[in-house]
Amino acid sequence: MPGTCQPQQAFMVLNHHAATGSAGHIFTNQAKVGKGSKLAQASEQAIPIIGTISAVRPKRRIWRKKILPWLFIAPILLLHLTVVMGPSLAAIYYSLTDWSGIGPATYIGLENFRTLIFDDMAYRSALGNNLTWLALFMTIPFVLALATAYLLAQVVRGSMFFRTMLFLPYILPSVISAAIWRNLLSPRVGVGAQLELLGITGLDFAWLGNPKTALFSIAFVDNWHFWGFLMVLFLAAMQNISPDLYDAAKIDGANRWREFVHITIPGIRPTLVFMLMMVGIWSFLSFEYIWILTQGGPAGSSEVLAVLVYKQAFNRFEAGYAAAIGLSMSFFAGLVIGLFVLLRRMGWEI
Amino acid sequence: MRKNFALQGLRLFLLLMFTLAGCTAPAAPATGGESAAVPTEKIKLSLWYNPPSGGETAVCWLDTSINPFNEQSETIMVEAVAQPNAWDATRTAIAGGGGPDIVTTPGPSFAYELAQAGQLVALDDLATIEGWAESFVPWALNLGKVGDKLYSLPAEQETLVLYYNKTLFEANGWTPPTTMDEMMALAETINAAGIIPFAQSNADWRPANEHYVGEFLNHVAGPQKVYEALTGKLAWDDPVFVQAISMLNDIQQKGWFMGGLDKYYTVPDSEASAAFGNGEAAMRMTGSWYLGGINDFFGEAAGNTNEWDAVPVPSMTGDAIFDIGIGSTWSINAASEHPEAAAEFLTYWFSPAVQGEILAKCGFSPAPVRLKADALTGIDPRAAKIFEAVGAASDAGNYGYTTWTFWPPKSGVYIYEEIEKVWAGDMTAEEYLAGLQKQFQEELAAGDIPPIPER
Repeated sequence: MPGTCQPQQAFMVLNHHAATGSAGHIFTNQAKVGKGSKLAQASEQAIPIIGTISAVRPKRRIWRKKILPWLFIAPILLLHLTVVMGPSLAAIYYSLTDWSGIGPATYIGLENFRTLIFDDMAYRSALGNNLTWLALFMTIPFVLALATAYLLAQVVRGSMFFRTMLFLPYILPSVISAAIWRNLLSPRVGVGAQLELLGITGLDFAWLGNPKTALFSIAFVDNWHFWGFLMVLFLAAMQNISPDLYDAAKIDGANRWREFVHITIPGIRPTLVFMLMMVGIWSFLSFEYIWILTQGGPAGSSEVLAVLVYKQAFNRFEAGYAAAIGLSMSFFAGLVIGLFVLLRRMGWEI
Repeated sequence: MRKNFALQGLRLFLLLMFTLAGCTAPAAPATGGESAAVPTEKIKLSLWYNPPSGGETAVCWLDTSINPFNEQSETIMVEAVAQPNAWDATRTAIAGGGGPDIVTTPGPSFAYELAQAGQLVALDDLATIEGWAESFVPWALNLGKVGDKLYSLPAEQETLVLYYNKTLFEANGWTPPTTMDEMMALAETINAAGIIPFAQSNADWRPANEHYVGEFLNHVAGPQKVYEALTGKLAWDDPVFVQAISMLNDIQQKGWFMGGLDKYYTVPDSEASAAFGNGEAAMRMTGSWYLGGINDFFGEAAGNTNEWDAVPVPSMTGDAIFDIGIGSTWSINAASEHPEAAAEFLTYWFSPAVQGEILAKCGFSPAPVRLKADALTGIDPRAAKIFEAVGAASDAGNYGYTTWTFWPPKSGVYIYEEIEKVWAGDMTAEEYLAGLQKQFQEELAAGDIPPIPER
């Protein structure tokens, strides 16, 4: 009916204003539209209704603002608490015990951490290998991925073929990748041995069987599988950079290198920094390729913390000590995150 | 549209409920007013096992040792489930209060950990009722004891022997060695002839290192010295053990294992076996489990005309020594609702008749039970010779000790992990054994040493 406002309409008006902010807007709007207008009349009629509904309004707001969001995230929160928080707290507890992994545990205070810091040479060696691994993965795959993504970004014909080919190793199961490389690196039947048959000598080397080369060889294999993933991420980020910037740089006489340094790198900085942080964290969690290819050998030369955790927990029945090592891995991963947060607070544009 | 969707959802829900109800409902009486006899439900026992390598062997094992029991028993049904890594699955399930009724582990030291944690049923009363003491050889049941109580039964009796390429030996006029000195001299000769003396590698199974450490400790120092060390009467860094580890290191440094340490670490087992079969390598020091697959690398199956044979691993004195090992143990889960039924199945499975069958039909290592006289009839005479010799050594109490059976777990891991540092030159034999002594003493003090049968 013209000139009147049904309760439902008024409720809708109320809801609209509740959604846009405070009820004060109603009166402001009323002043704006003028007293003689139909909308003003409707608003005047709506005021008493607002008065009656305003008593229940705080309850609705609490429901919408405070309770409903929690209900939406409740399923994943419960899952997270069960799968992540529960075991994390259990790991903290077990790190303070002599738990064998089976049966009851006895509280021993900080003994596991004391052993880990002062006595365990295997831990020091594994940590050293992790730091080597970190250095390798914070540099080589990034250089490869950045350079290739930059070059591929300029390829038009066949670019999808190259992207697919370079990304393919990433989707191969690690067991298969490792088995392939194990054969390729074999001193008896691998690439080196075949080249030897052709008269090219010196490459039939047991890369995985020598303590000096085992860790680097595994890192090479893992990097072969991983860098294509980085490349695709960087390529996607580079495609979001405005071509105008490159055109302007060209007009200013910038060469390719200067374009890369002053436009490409700043343009993909968020992706680059995020991946640096993630690779830093992942470096302390590396396990599968090392386990499949050498199980940490020969003579502990490729043993990293994750491999040590497995051996302590499942071969030596020292699950409590393994939990302490696991917590130290979390500590190092936290250090990586903390470093990036600190740099950001210091004003670094990352 | 929404209404139809809701209706369909309701129908689906009801269908699901009826289906589930049907799954669990007892057998319905027969129609026509006749009351059908409801068959008594068999007690179901679960068993998780590592599938033996090769599908045929697994089927044979099931057909020979599990299915006949299910057919003959009116009250018990064993549900055997293959798990690619049964021990990891078992350990996790047991820690959570579940797991199979029949618990299998990779060896006595693993069963020992479970028993100490109260996860296994003490079997002493059941052993008396079922008469296990009469079917097992004298030392075997002691291995399953924690304190004075029996918790596990040993299965898969193993030993290590020296396999050799008989055709290659005959062609070169070589004689299989009986003493360590003979073996070292022969390896020198073989190596000089451009042939790999030993087809050994640990690329597929890194703990294979412990096979050789164990062999040299037992066969250079002698089983009596090893027994004394295992019982805490002799230190592991005694000069007799230093000599043993030094000899093993000498072999590795000379590259007699697969042609060099680097190849020892990287050549897959199949490649090493192929080299052994085709005469590229002359000998292979490994376990009785190898009997199941050795014929794949010799003769027509491998495309050559070579034959193999085996002798005891040489010793310093020339005496034949067989180091005894247990490949797995079987126990009853403390959480099992049917321990008596499980005991009945174990009595069947460990009976000399069934163990003889799995050996004869499937080539599977039998448990250390008193096999019937005709148990070895029909199997490869070379394999029969090994099992006869091991049985005789075990009966006489004149045997050596494998590391995975008689050493506590941490010392066992130390043995195969740290020996690589000796081979890499990062550690001397003395330092290696001093470390073993330290680790062993800790476990000895904690009472974690598996029971060592008296000699």
